[in-house]
Amino acid sequence: MAGKCPDYINDLSDYLDGGVSPELCAEIEAHLGECRECRIMVDTLRQTVTLCRAGAEEPLPQALENKLKSLLRQRWEKKFSK
Amino acid sequence: MKFCNLLNHFDYIGDRMNEKELVRKAQSGDFDAFAKLVDANKERIYSLARKMTGNDQDAEDILQETLLRAIDKIDQFRGDASFGTWLYTITLNLARAQFAKKKQTDLQPLEDYLPGTFVNGGHHHEGSALFDWKDPHKLMESEQLRDIIDKSISELPYKYREAFVLRFVEELSVKEVARLIQQSEASTKSRIFRARLAMRDKLSKVFENEYGGKVS
Repeated sequence: MAGKCPDYINDLSDYLDGGVSPELCAEIEAHLGECRECRIMVDTLRQTVTLCRAGAEEPLPQALENKLKSLLRQRWEKKFSK
Repeated sequence: MKFCNLLNHFDYIGDRMNEKELVRKAQSGDFDAFAKLVDANKERIYSLARKMTGNDQDAEDILQETLLRAIDKIDQFRGDASFGTWLYTITLNLARAQFAKKKQTDLQPLEDYLPGTFVNGGHHHEGSALFDWKDPHKLMESEQLRDIIDKSISELPYKYREAFVLRFVEELSVKEVARLIQQSEASTKSRIFRARLAMRDKLSKVFENEYGGKVS
């Protein structure tokens, strides 16, 4: 393996998004097989996204739902009654 | 095109046609049509505002203001993008305006988020500087984990938070994020990656402080 860790930093973003050529992908994966630091870096960068994505959509609090309904209707009537 | 993809494609076309019809009715003054458009998008908008502001009260204010502005400007909506995207843009503009008033710190230089091995080169297989999280779900309750994540996102400087949330939480493409934040694709990509590194660093420090002993 010729490359050192810093050689891959610039390509890491594209690699994580699946945007590198098959040759570079194979080279990076060979490096990951050898280098624990890079492997942890890649794993934890992937987990960062997985964790943030999980349960992303939050339900509206009921009190807000009720408040919105009347507020929007009031504004609507004001606009379209002109 | 595979059969299931074809069906999804028809669903999409059907949704967009239905949306166009709802928009047309809403623009003619039909509140129920507008309410249906709001129902289809309100949770996504609230979640986006919640992530951008980091707290419930500001998120509620931004959702409310987004929908009120949508009423005020509904006749200006031309349908070039989906109604949801239009609401998204209003939400982002409101959130950005709110944070523009506050002083924003920048992220640290890129190398601060990388261990010495990445900056100085070489392979140091002994005494790794990086903390291996394993599976955080096994170490803490989902609610606690969610609080940690929300807090970490809310601590990112706004321009990075915006890029990170749109790309990874909302799962938009780099091109879509670039359009929404009005930056070039190259600059957007760089912002997204720096935000991802900073988030990884923040989470790593929390997990190591809280659970280092249990994991390693």
